Amino acid sequence: MIPISNTRFDHLVEKLIRRTAQRTSRRSFLSLCGSWLVAASALPLLPVSRRAQASDVEHREKKAVAKFASDFANQAQTSDPTQCNYWRYCSSDGYLCACCGGGPHTCPPGTSPSPTSWVGTCINPDDGKSYLIAYRDCCGQDSCGKCSCLGQEGDMPEYRPQVNNDIVWCFGASSMVYHCSSAGLVGLAE
Amino acid sequence: MSLRPAANILACLGLLSGLAAGAALAEGTLVTGLATNVPDAETRISGLRLAPMPRPARIYALNCQGCHGASGVSVIEIPELAGRVGYFARIPEGRSYLVQVPNVALNPSSDQDIAELMNWLLKTFSRAELPTDFRPYTAEEVARLRKERIDPSARRQRIVEQLIAARLLPSPDALALPHATLY
Repeated sequence: MIPISNTRFDHLVEKLIRRTAQRTSRRSFLSLCGSWLVAASALPLLPVSRRAQASDVEHREKKAVAKFASDFANQAQTSDPTQCNYWRYCSSDGYLCACCGGGPHTCPPGTSPSPTSWVGTCINPDDGKSYLIAYRDCCGQDSCGKCSCLGQEGDMPEYRPQVNNDIVWCFGASSMVYHCSSAGLVGLAE
Repeated sequence: MSLRPAANILACLGLLSGLAAGAALAEGTLVTGLATNVPDAETRISGLRLAPMPRPARIYALNCQGCHGASGVSVIEIPELAGRVGYFARIPEGRSYLVQVPNVALNPSSDQDIAELMNWLLKTFSRAELPTDFRPYTAEEVARLRKERIDPSARRQRIVEQLIAARLLPSPDALALPHATLY
């Protein structure tokens, strides 16, 4: 093998290239190249934090939605009492009387309102004010079974029964059989 | 927002003529000219207006009203506050008892809030039965009183007997309960 040049650097490069040419095939070069391409394109899919790249617009939109301290109020509406996200239902746990033949604060025919209730606080999303809401169960018929809603705001565990919405609030009513939950306005808190 | 003018007109009409409809919606609250409209499916039509509740009234509503009723009257099982609770304040033991009743003493409200609540409650529901020299509760007094745990039924019975003996009740059954064990 006659060297092309006598300089040491040229000699080294020549040796390297010859060795590469002898030991690797064009196919393996292509496959290596291909796998690098795939790896490079797959890299951004790895689950790493990308908060820094998030656009400002997206951030601002998120802030606009989170207007109130209450998650429920941020999603609430004030026009349809047959929906779980009606603003007064922030602590209502049970079937909505509005879906059972009654109204948001009235009992369906054949049931009677419990004289006792528990009182919670909900934010009205339209004026941003807090109102006290009485969660009064309608009693005397079997469970209504429609529009089951589970609001949790201000709800405490059973060992604080005065402010627990899992128990049936038919105390003092003619029947302890629960039918549905109503939500009457008590007053303006602030 | 386009609903606002209509709601305002309805509110004015409601105030002038149909207060009863609004009053039926609210559970025993003020409906006054100073109040604001409630943006709500029903109240947009009824024109209900609500005034902000005083702080003690709010504490009462959140902690007591569910059982004792908005006006201090409820079902027979729950002791009536209206026209009655003030009798207890006629003797020192009774005054203490009102704060030491478990649901008052163990309530999560602060001492200051409990003091304001008691003063408001006594004057709102039972002004006529209060002693003429009634001193309002202070936060310090509430803090001291609520530390003591009492047997509510036995304590109540003793206080009622004392009130009867001192001729401080108009009749012996003025503070009677439907069941003797109910505090």
